[in-house]
Amino acid sequence: MEKILEVNDLELSFHTFAGEVKAIRGVNFDLKKGETLAIVGESGSGKSVTTKAIMRLLPESSSEFKNGQILFNGKDLTKLSDKEMQKIRGKDISMIFQDPMTSLNPTMTIGNQIMEPILKHRKLGKAEARKVAIDLLRLVGMPKPEARIKQYPHQFSGGQRQRIVIAIALACNPQILIADEPTTALDVTIQAQILELMKDLQKKIDTSIIFITHDLGVVANVADRVAVMYGGKIVEIGTVDEIFYNPQHPYTWGLLSSMPSLDTAEAKLYAIPGTPPDLLNPPKGDAFALRSDYALKIDLEQAPSFFKVSETHSAATWLLHPDAPEVEPPLAIVERMKKFPGSRYYEGTEGGTY
Amino acid sequence: MAEKLLEIKNLKQYFNQGKPNEVRAVDDISFDIYKGETLGLVGESGCGKSTTGRTIIRLYDATDGQVIYDGVNVHDKKSKNDLKSFNRKMQMIFQDPYASLNPRMKVLDIIAEGLDIHGLVKNPKERKERVVELLETVGLNREHADRYAHEFSGGQRQRLGIARALAVNPEFIIADEPISALDVSIQAQVVNLLKELQEQKGLTYLFIAHDLSMVKYISDRIGVMYFGKLVELAPAEDLYNNPMHPYTQSLLSAIPLPDPNYERTRVRKSYDPASHNYQDGEEIAMREVTPGHFVYCSEKEFATLQAISGSRI
Repeated sequence: MEKILEVNDLELSFHTFAGEVKAIRGVNFDLKKGETLAIVGESGSGKSVTTKAIMRLLPESSSEFKNGQILFNGKDLTKLSDKEMQKIRGKDISMIFQDPMTSLNPTMTIGNQIMEPILKHRKLGKAEARKVAIDLLRLVGMPKPEARIKQYPHQFSGGQRQRIVIAIALACNPQILIADEPTTALDVTIQAQILELMKDLQKKIDTSIIFITHDLGVVANVADRVAVMYGGKIVEIGTVDEIFYNPQHPYTWGLLSSMPSLDTAEAKLYAIPGTPPDLLNPPKGDAFALRSDYALKIDLEQAPSFFKVSETHSAATWLLHPDAPEVEPPLAIVERMKKFPGSRYYEGTEGGTY
Repeated sequence: MAEKLLEIKNLKQYFNQGKPNEVRAVDDISFDIYKGETLGLVGESGCGKSTTGRTIIRLYDATDGQVIYDGVNVHDKKSKNDLKSFNRKMQMIFQDPYASLNPRMKVLDIIAEGLDIHGLVKNPKERKERVVELLETVGLNREHADRYAHEFSGGQRQRLGIARALAVNPEFIIADEPISALDVSIQAQVVNLLKELQEQKGLTYLFIAHDLSMVKYISDRIGVMYFGKLVELAPAEDLYNNPMHPYTQSLLSAIPLPDPNYERTRVRKSYDPASHNYQDGEEIAMREVTPGHFVYCSEKEFATLQAISGSRI
């Protein structure tokens, strides 16, 4: 499949009073046309910063690209001038933010807010832009769009506001849609509606989505591929089945085990011990080693490189090195691996029932 | 059956009562909480679950109804002293660990505030010792006592919130979305801590949340609220395996699980309150369909539900 975005060796730092915070420490991934890539990880792992770097939304006074490229259709976004970037931002790449309560302007009608990118990027007249805005509202499932276009954000509920934000993001038929925790502030029922809407729209307009979230249930629902971030790096990347049923990195194991499942009654929930790494002084080796039960000696000295598990799946952990001892993953993970053809714990019959 | 610690009888909490913009946040709900159990309360935002918690602890004065704690009505007129001794038994942990700790106070003073008010410590040395003991109970240490709230991460702040609630040795804790603002991995730490403390100290919890998988994990029984009404109340397992009220079914079908195969086949049910088709004069109330499993339904629905669960057994 055609690659639409490539991030190569991206390194980015923030300059703060306390010193240099190495927020992103060598991130590599690509995004293919029409797919949904989910980025998961805890707060401070660098997932939002990565996408803000793609959008060039980070404050230039305090942030610095140290290394690497962000290639969008062959153009390196890190090298573009502000003017050139403005032509891409909101048009070819657009973004849905976490909090629909604060990402809309309370003093503008929602009609004007949806029309803003249309007038700016699509060179349409006002009357035409209005029509497009009404169509967009209808597309995102807003009842009576002709009347509601004149209303202000406070007249809408949280779910409706998120629909409006999505309408704005889709106004110029973007090639990439970045959704930064778009449903975290919403109720489960509303969340389900918004996720269904996004999947539906993706089919209709064939856009690629980068979906940031820390809710693994949502990831399982929307993602084609998943990247797991920890301490400013991607530690594991693969298809959604590979990450959920054949995870290799101890951090992914911890993440998956700390979610209670609805069908089993464990006595005690697995909790990843300790706290996230301090990126002012990032650890020398594997950033997760200090919190991991599976850390090897080398983890403390040298950061692991990526090891290939399959064509689509790789993980940065020394455990995959040919010389590494074979370890038994946590019980909950072994249970998951039993469902995955190709893992060493696979129990199904040939062909599989899934 | 265990001993009842708390009885909530026909509790109502209306805001702007009598005005055109009257809001019936909690509309005539009744339930019991037993000693040593965790009762989960779930529902979408605005359904009145937090208001219920806040009314129980008397942060709001109830419009009507009773909250009977150990035989005494919480909302009766009380002298200052009675109120104080009552407040010692019931404590609250708040949702937002960033907003619920005073940024100008040291951790020592935040946690010791309850001790001071209730006169539980005699001198500064004892005060400090007690705070350190509490910090250690929640997995922090002595050095943390002299810091300010902003020096802590979200998970650590929530631990401080728990330590503060524990300071006065309460019997009953209302936890209002204590983990919603935390990361997945940190959520597990806090939930485990709450469970451990419950075992050690025999605490009773009212656990309010909208994350249904965590609620199921921590709760013995779960109540589901919808628009100010309690629509279903059942043991946790039972509620998940056999939801009876259509709203509960819709809520459960909306939860995404970390399991791609399940997600590909999950069908979401939507709930339409009009589907009940209640006639005028029909009495709709909480009815016990199977032992311990209450559903808010009409006489007719009750008969149908009983027939269905009868055939299941």
